[in-house]
Amino acid sequence: MSTPRRGSRGIRPHRSHHLDLTHGLRERLVSVAGLVRRPVRNPGGEGVGYVSDAVARWDTGEPHPPLAGLVVRVGSRQAFVPVNLVAQVRPDGVSLSTARLTLQEFTPHEGEVCLVRDILDRQLLDVDGVRVVRAADLYLATVTDRIRLVGVEVGLRTLLRRLGPARWRAKARPDAVIDWASVHSFGSVALTETSGRGAIRLDRHRNELNRLLPADLAALLEDLGRQERRELLDVVEPAAAADALESMHPDKRRQLLTETGPPRAADLVALMEPDEAARALRGLPRQQRDQLLAAMFADKAEALRSVMAFGPDTAGGVMNTELVIASVADTVEHVRILLRIKRHVADLDAVVVVDEQGHLVDDVSLEELLLAEHTTPLEELIGPPWPVSVTPDTPVRRVADRMLDARRLSAVVVDDQLRPIGRILADDVLQALLPGLGLSRLPRPRWPT
Amino acid sequence: MRLLALVAITGPGLVAAAAGNDAGGIAAYASAGAQFGYHTLFLMVFITGCLALVQEMCARLGSYTGEGLGSLFREQFSLRVTAIVLVAFLVANLGAMASEFAGVGVSFELVGVHRFVSVPLAAGIIWVLVVFGSYQRAERVFRTAALIFLVYPIAAILAHPNVGEVLHQTLLPSFVPSQAFLLLSVGLVGATISPYVQFYVASAVADKGVRPLDYPRQRVDAILGAVFANVINMFIIIAAAAAITTRAPLQSAQDAGQALRPVAGPFAAELFVIGLLGASALAAAVVPLSTAYVVSEAIGAERSVGKSFREAPLFRWLFTVQIVIGAVVALLPGNLIDLLIRTQILNGVIAPILLTCILVLTNRRSLLGEAANGPLLRALGGGLIGIIALLAVAAMGISAARWLGVTG
Repeated sequence: MSTPRRGSRGIRPHRSHHLDLTHGLRERLVSVAGLVRRPVRNPGGEGVGYVSDAVARWDTGEPHPPLAGLVVRVGSRQAFVPVNLVAQVRPDGVSLSTARLTLQEFTPHEGEVCLVRDILDRQLLDVDGVRVVRAADLYLATVTDRIRLVGVEVGLRTLLRRLGPARWRAKARPDAVIDWASVHSFGSVALTETSGRGAIRLDRHRNELNRLLPADLAALLEDLGRQERRELLDVVEPAAAADALESMHPDKRRQLLTETGPPRAADLVALMEPDEAARALRGLPRQQRDQLLAAMFADKAEALRSVMAFGPDTAGGVMNTELVIASVADTVEHVRILLRIKRHVADLDAVVVVDEQGHLVDDVSLEELLLAEHTTPLEELIGPPWPVSVTPDTPVRRVADRMLDARRLSAVVVDDQLRPIGRILADDVLQALLPGLGLSRLPRPRWPT
Repeated sequence: MRLLALVAITGPGLVAAAAGNDAGGIAAYASAGAQFGYHTLFLMVFITGCLALVQEMCARLGSYTGEGLGSLFREQFSLRVTAIVLVAFLVANLGAMASEFAGVGVSFELVGVHRFVSVPLAAGIIWVLVVFGSYQRAERVFRTAALIFLVYPIAAILAHPNVGEVLHQTLLPSFVPSQAFLLLSVGLVGATISPYVQFYVASAVADKGVRPLDYPRQRVDAILGAVFANVINMFIIIAAAAAITTRAPLQSAQDAGQALRPVAGPFAAELFVIGLLGASALAAAVVPLSTAYVVSEAIGAERSVGKSFREAPLFRWLFTVQIVIGAVVALLPGNLIDLLIRTQILNGVIAPILLTCILVLTNRRSLLGEAANGPLLRALGGGLIGIIALLAVAAMGISAARWLGVTG
């Protein structure tokens, strides 16, 4: 069964991400895809070879990476021509400022990326527009005295033009261009692993990526290929990734957890809210679920097992086991300190109050706490409205009825001794009762294999 | 006990294989049996080998790269090659769509409903089901109906086929030197190694998140799946060969259904038609969906795929246009069973293009590292695809000659 997704995907208007090209810049753009197979001439005007790739410096930390040089095919060799020997890069070809070329076989250096081989036609992240794109073309332009990678084209028209004869590609015709400054690119495996350079490059957008809404980050993780997804997971904080996992489509979440493998996947699941974590684990095959639980801290795994022991349609199966519990004798001040140190506090709407035996007495709302003096003992805040309390085997539908009757946003789950063991929030109930919600997405084709 | 274990292992695979058959495939197998008796069985063994080889490669690509073939083509091949392959894929799938709707038309003709009524209605219903989101529930119904084809092995046994003859034709090469046989052979290749199923296998394995570490099990699944599927297909041929003795091309569902007579008696045609309808409806939704996914992936519109239908115009158009073209082709004048077979021949002609790309990708060490094809697989893959390509070229030659009015 598919669970619904949360978040604001498709509702929040995305910021405009297309580069506003002034007329001057538009005229000066050179298309990288168009440059491929163009002639390279020496100062005398004689052809020495053909452009086969453009190499950019990735490690300068600048938003627009400067061109390091060109890979030129001379005969059967791939020679590297550093940018200082390039006199001019025009859409119809390149002229050199020297007649001499050292014909060394090209190998990319530390910190360099081949634009055609590694970036063109690959997946990229448009960080401003919060979406995954594929580079249909890349644009170079001279900015602050250096030739730089300034933008990425994502328009369909450019793609179609590349299918036609070479002259269709000669002139850059910007269609849908994203400023390279807001683009997050992924390295090939080998490059990232050998030099660790990926991490430096990714840093530029680390803060923005960590600030994304969970649903947006989830969407990016869903749309990326496996390698790119792994790199993105490396950049964002584990807590942000765990939040995003809660919003992911169940199939895609299962895919991510499976391909990530036990130790790391277990860390992510452990960081999710217990009810969401239980939901994610329920979606996995038993063997894999056990592996993940085994890789967690024992108490965490135990808590998750207890939630999963209840059916997915019962109060116990959808409850959040992270509770803030205070005793009747505690003061408001004490509770405030408790709230400060607990995680997932944003999802709580009240604090459970128990007596000396640990039995549920009341559920004091955050509003009551906010308005009370901090020296007030909780005893004085006890009174109607009384909390909705349910046993873990109560069907979710019944919980919904009880919450509606009492007009409460959450219910406390108690065991047979009336000790609080979890809380159910209104959104958990919605999620459990509206399994059809997730179907508003396109169905993935399923074919038995 | 041992039998139980065998059922436990093979059961799900068999079920999946039976449900994975589409209208064109069933028509091609039934037709092969009716027209050429057991003579195509050895060819089916050859095709099984090819299918296992290709499906394993697709599963390997999915597992090691974590990507579908659409994005792999875009990243690994030049844009022009990608475009050519995608167009070929689209054409094959349009053919498949036409065959699914032909399947619907054939089914309803049995109960006297003209295809001008049934085909547009079916197209509309499938469109609505997918776009308005109740598709998943309907899918279960179609899938169950398609399980009817699991009775073919029983039908084949009850029809008392000549066992000696069956074994002889299965194990020893045999061919009928005629154009019709050659065309049907290409049709059988196309029906069995359907391009969309190969694309589907790669993305299904990638979507499951199967890591290289866990690949060995997936490899067994892929190969066994291919073998199971074709065992069922061979039973369809045997059942048809034993029950239908006209040795002429099939003309209607009434004819094709006769292969099920040993099981269903007078209701053979009805049973056949229910299964055919289920298989057609199932594939009529899956084919355009997977095509739209592959194309979106290749042109970099992944984002639109994750959204709901209303927010994904490109996806919606790709999906709708395929259904419309498929339905229109199925309404063109001509015999529907004939159309079913022809679309399979089209598939068979296009298959070598896609298979070559898959072979090239799995040969690449830069992509798969240690998991790239070794010399043996390279040679075997190249050889088998070469034979399929030769068959395809011959079929094209015959079709062109017929079209130009040259009779051979």
